[in-house]
Amino acid sequence: MSSGGKRRAAPPAAPSAAGAAKRAHPTPPGAPQPPPPAAAAAEEEDMMDEDVFLDETILEEDEAALLLLDRDEALASRLSRWKRPALPADLVSGCSRSVAFQQLDIDYVIGESHKELLPKSSGPAAIIRIFGVTREGHSVCCQVHGFEPYFYISCPSGMGPDDISRFKQILEVRMKESNRSSNVPKFVKSVELVQKQTIMHYQPQKSQSFLKIVVTLPTMVASCRGILERGITMEGLGSKSFLTYESNILFALRFMIDCNIVGGNWLEVPAGKYRKAARIMSYCQLELDCLYSDLVSHAAEGEYSKMAPFRILSFDIECAGRKGHFPEPTHDPVIQIANLLTLQGEAQPFVRNVMTLKSCSPIVGVDVMSFDTERDILLAWRDLIREADPDIIIGYNICKFDLPYLIERAEVLKIVEFPLLGRIRNSRVRVRDTTFNSRQYGTRESKDVTLEGRVQFDLLQAMQRDYKLSSYSLNSVSAHFLGEQKEDVHHSIISDLQNGNSETRRRLAVYCLKDAYLPQRLLDKLMYIYNYVEMARVTGVPISFLLSRGQSIKVLSQLLRKAKQRNLVIPNMKGQGSGQDTFEGATVLEARAGYYEKPIATLDFASLYPSIMMAHNLCYCTLVPPEDVRKLNLPPESLYKTPSGEIFVKQELQKGILPEILEELLAARKRAKADLKEAKDPFERAVLDGRQLALKISANSVYGFTGATVGQLPCLEISSSVTSYGRQMIEHTKKLVEDKFTTLNGYEHNAEVIYGDTDSVMVQFGVSTVEDAMKLGREAADFISETFIKPIKLEFEKIYFPYLLISKKRYAGLYWTNPEKFDKMDTKGIETVRRDNCLLVKNLVTECLHKLLVDRDIPGAVQYVKNTISDLLMNRVDLSLLVITKGLTKTGEDYAVKAAHVELAERMRKRDAATAPTVGDRVPYVIIKAAKGAKAYEKSEDPIYVLDNNIPIDPHYYLENQISKPLLRIFEPILKNASRELLHGSHTRAVSISTPSNSGIMKFAKKQLTCLGCKAVISGPNQTLCSHCKGREAELYCKTVANVSDLEMLFGKLWTQCQECQGSLHQDVLCTSRDCPIFYRRRKAQKDMAEARVQLDRWDF
Amino acid sequence: MERKQADYGTQDERYMIQGERYQGQQYSHIYFTRLHHMRTLLHALVPSRNPNVPVTTVLGLEEGKDCVLVGTLFKHMKLKPSILDEYSKERSVVPLVKPHNFMHPEDNLILEDESGRVALAGAIPPAAYVTGVVVALHGKETSAGNFLVEDVLEAGLPPQTLLPSINEDKYVVFVSGLSVGSSTFNPLQFQLLIDHITGHLGDENEQTVASKIVRVVVAGNSVHIAPRYLNGQTVAAKDQPRIAEPIKELDIMLTQLVASLPVDIMPGCNDPANFSLPQQPLHRCLFSGASTYNTFSSCPNPHEFELDNVKFLGTSGQNIDDLYKYSDAKDRLEFMERTLTWRHLAPTAPNSLGCYPYTDKDPFLVESCPHVYFVGNQDRYESRLLQGSEKQQVRLISIPRFCDTGIAVMLNLRNLECTTLSFSTSFDS
Repeated sequence: MSSGGKRRAAPPAAPSAAGAAKRAHPTPPGAPQPPPPAAAAAEEEDMMDEDVFLDETILEEDEAALLLLDRDEALASRLSRWKRPALPADLVSGCSRSVAFQQLDIDYVIGESHKELLPKSSGPAAIIRIFGVTREGHSVCCQVHGFEPYFYISCPSGMGPDDISRFKQILEVRMKESNRSSNVPKFVKSVELVQKQTIMHYQPQKSQSFLKIVVTLPTMVASCRGILERGITMEGLGSKSFLTYESNILFALRFMIDCNIVGGNWLEVPAGKYRKAARIMSYCQLELDCLYSDLVSHAAEGEYSKMAPFRILSFDIECAGRKGHFPEPTHDPVIQIANLLTLQGEAQPFVRNVMTLKSCSPIVGVDVMSFDTERDILLAWRDLIREADPDIIIGYNICKFDLPYLIERAEVLKIVEFPLLGRIRNSRVRVRDTTFNSRQYGTRESKDVTLEGRVQFDLLQAMQRDYKLSSYSLNSVSAHFLGEQKEDVHHSIISDLQNGNSETRRRLAVYCLKDAYLPQRLLDKLMYIYNYVEMARVTGVPISFLLSRGQSIKVLSQLLRKAKQRNLVIPNMKGQGSGQDTFEGATVLEARAGYYEKPIATLDFASLYPSIMMAHNLCYCTLVPPEDVRKLNLPPESLYKTPSGEIFVKQELQKGILPEILEELLAARKRAKADLKEAKDPFERAVLDGRQLALKISANSVYGFTGATVGQLPCLEISSSVTSYGRQMIEHTKKLVEDKFTTLNGYEHNAEVIYGDTDSVMVQFGVSTVEDAMKLGREAADFISETFIKPIKLEFEKIYFPYLLISKKRYAGLYWTNPEKFDKMDTKGIETVRRDNCLLVKNLVTECLHKLLVDRDIPGAVQYVKNTISDLLMNRVDLSLLVITKGLTKTGEDYAVKAAHVELAERMRKRDAATAPTVGDRVPYVIIKAAKGAKAYEKSEDPIYVLDNNIPIDPHYYLENQISKPLLRIFEPILKNASRELLHGSHTRAVSISTPSNSGIMKFAKKQLTCLGCKAVISGPNQTLCSHCKGREAELYCKTVANVSDLEMLFGKLWTQCQECQGSLHQDVLCTSRDCPIFYRRRKAQKDMAEARVQLDRWDF
Repeated sequence: MERKQADYGTQDERYMIQGERYQGQQYSHIYFTRLHHMRTLLHALVPSRNPNVPVTTVLGLEEGKDCVLVGTLFKHMKLKPSILDEYSKERSVVPLVKPHNFMHPEDNLILEDESGRVALAGAIPPAAYVTGVVVALHGKETSAGNFLVEDVLEAGLPPQTLLPSINEDKYVVFVSGLSVGSSTFNPLQFQLLIDHITGHLGDENEQTVASKIVRVVVAGNSVHIAPRYLNGQTVAAKDQPRIAEPIKELDIMLTQLVASLPVDIMPGCNDPANFSLPQQPLHRCLFSGASTYNTFSSCPNPHEFELDNVKFLGTSGQNIDDLYKYSDAKDRLEFMERTLTWRHLAPTAPNSLGCYPYTDKDPFLVESCPHVYFVGNQDRYESRLLQGSEKQQVRLISIPRFCDTGIAVMLNLRNLECTTLSFSTSFDS
């Protein structure tokens, strides 16, 4: 259960984003902000606030910062077309109308407290900033005042009011000591006695005393916590260290929880309750100041479930890299930036623009802007951002590449006024490296670019998070989801295009635009905006957290909200889990491998883990520690003893918070699904579908939260109880099914459980029709559900028929939900999607399964395998099917073990540095025949090189290392001697190996013409056939010409397809996308075409 | 009786790829050449058809301004099969129902020139056009960025040489789709045709007619070889002679023909010839008997020749079959007519029809109008006399498959009139 955490010293990395600290280092007020440190933060701290002080000194300077707009009127007028709709007059001048808006981003800044709204206070204070959009599409920046950071500690017994004020003074002194550099007049604002209860463990008494400590600035929470955890000495009480409560919550999240705001919901500032900002700090159209208590938060229902017309900017940049190097901002200029602006909910972008360095021919329907210097491009782009004012910025790999590149490039060019891309006037964009670490999503290095008020949504990150794909290149992602191939221009060609004329630059611009358009289409197709906004609404975290952080923050947010309602507080237990504790995971019943030709019914527990937690009231606040069991003297009938030996109280004594959260989530999901059935409007349906999905994911992540040993609030008692119940239930189900459905009880056959996994049980009832199996499946599900505590429910969902069970977690079958027709073929754990296999394996496995399951043709499948193997050995397999691709993550020296793709990259670099793969590229290779005893890594070769030089591939490598295992897995349950039958039959006897054209010994070989019929050497120079074959002329000619004609057909299909992808008939295809399945075939067709003509010419005598 | 003669000359050099060397070129050149050639033609037509309208390029379009654009059409088709389908992630479990062609109501046209592309709307029906046709369009750009077509200018029939006046009957016989070796091939039926042409059948009257046949043109698909022998797999020794069997049979039959009159044989899509257009002549080694006669000529497909100065142009049918897959017309003759008015024999090549990647020419451009335009291997016999705007007259002939219909077509050089020769071996009709 727990790896991940070992590597790291304290504080352990939580499943939530470690080190995704949002702000740069705090700077004392008054001092100008230093440029952002490029290096990563030395120590990663998750969930940390960082105070950014409003820096008013450079405000003036910014006003003077030359807008390119002012200099270039033509540009100004072109950009002005993209502006947001103008504010209505009454909003421009007065405050007589209430303002409702959908918020997207919430952060805070330190500024002088508002004199009008908060006449009593003075000095620096945290001001919450909420960015959003109104229904009419106006951007809003709402500055909320008066909300103060706080946390709790448990009050030592016997503390009176005097003690408290003394405590406050001591704390203030200690705070001042540890924050000497700070000139904040007051650190601790107040300490107040409150009655709360801790969430941990069941406690019969209703409340305890806690101290609520309010501090001036959000970062002080952490430093105050540190002081209290280390302990302070007080007269009369001695030295005491405290456990803090709710001290690790980001300030913005704290504010949202306390004001009942969830991510992406609608807020309203009532008329008269706000002031127009005296000094405009942001580029938003409307800037308001109000008190946090006046803010109205609307639940996402009815009118308020809709989406505001966000402006989404999708962009892509092109850089002119040097030959053989991946572009680096220190050397390589930005040459083009393509921008598409789309209103949320609309099908087409309303602005398409491309900015180019040097002239570029016009493109239909696109606003082409050409500039002479890179400085002008960058500044024009900055102005575009400012004028178009996008709420969401999307792109592919923008967070790791495009945005940091632009910013670093501007730094190199010393364009100090460039990085003003956020919505705050004087705030420069900062870049820092971060590591995102999550058990679920893995470790990923990224860059964090702060763009205040604009949400960044990197489609690459979203893809890596949400989908398991064999490749995440934009090309293969769009092939997967949009069903189209994308043209891929190698970065070494980009410079050539740029250095050509305005036509070649236009060519590049079209390519760049497409790269900017695809992310937008992916966003629409996958309904990302809807799904993520709904996820934010359900879990209550800001949208920006969803991409940059893990699962646990979402659960924590819900837990905090619920705890607040119940007057509970959550201890800051972080760092207590050792990361070593483990508990037994889910159970898997032994699989009885085989090929089942009778219907197999699948019984599933609906939301197994959530329902276990609900049924058995498993929660932090219902757990009774062993030492308390006797002390509290609880009656055994009101306790649950879980199979793992933990004790929880029953619902009557105390209802758990987690069960309550889960109940609400599942009830909400039910509602959303019901509404979805009713809904007609496609936008409404999208919202509802996103919501039900978000609810499902959230419900399932609660269990993981309790089990995350290095997480926010681990509680292994809960998670181990959950899995132990799960195991027990699976066993119980198996027993019941096999006891009840027997011939003794009047059923036709004895039922047999052939496999069971985590939350499902596969039963063979022995009946032969799908319909009968469905009937029995339903009966069994109802019968067994009765024996469980509600809401645990066993459901009958589907039939597998036929069913090929290979082993644990590996199976395939046809999936039936109605008796007439099967729905699909379902496979699990079988090599159909693995990324490190060649396509041949995937095709072979898919085709075999299809033949076995759909056609029910075992001999056919065997024949197919034999033909394929024979083709492989006879060198007739399309090379692109044999290409294996691996990512090059570091250079050769850094790899401890020699790897095939790394060695190849090294060799390719020696051949031609310009096109060799560099770090970050994916390296495609094939395994070639090499000298006996050659190491595997020496046998890798570039597919193109193989094609060009006719190098023989090593069919045995593919046979043994690629296709044999997956094939045997499938066929072993079916055939007796699968290995002998498939891999060693007569079809493996004939072997043909092509002769390399340029290497080694072949240079010394003398080429002689052979008879095309029998390969006998011909003496004469102009003959085609030997004397024996002369009579077979017609036949042999037919064969040669048939071969030529196949090649011609293929050639035509391949090259016209590439023309189609490229979208132009009159220009040559440039694409070198190695992800494209036909790339190698196309190259091969080109070569074969030339060869075939030579062959055919031999017949002309 | 003596057989009539006619002067014969071919213009087939343009379809020969003997001299071409493949050097890795792509298809863009052929489109470029086509556009370049057609643009000159179309530009010349604009002043008479649309006076006072400026001609521009896709780049030069201005919203709302009337203009004429010349470019290559591209038809975006939803159902067009793609080689990428082989790699589609989900194999469809249920085989798709194949429609007779790949048309779909959502198909749309795009006009492309060297400067760019623009989507078309308005008076240009996607159903009638295919990718690769070069046209001039009169219209204007809309605010949506489309080009609203008001009027389509096609090049129209090319200029024609005067039809020579021949004052005696001379016949040319066209036959296609013999399919020797296929299951529907009937040797007796073919023998009847041969005997009729060579004058071994019928009364004196019929023999007189037969003696006036000056040439036989075999327009493609003369043999049928089972594909299982040619799929690249090793063929068992006992099956090896089977490949050549139908060819030998055809050779014997042809020898009878060439012994008495000239025969042109063109390759078709099922013949042992290359796949892409222009198909090169069937190799002489296939016809060890017939090729010894100088009356035997193996021709490319397309085939262009003159008989007594009457100009013939024809194909074995691939060009029209492909149009049928990607566009709509009332009959095959209309497709044929379109290829003439577009001045291009096979506009869908290379897009959906295999084609040699030429670099500096497009041999399928029709520069002068034939008097007879024939297409082989069609479902049924159809013929019409097409009249051009400049008094051109073209005899269009769709030659049916002989093995299915038993019909050959006979054309009279004197008046370009067509009759059918129908042979049946069943007794009940």
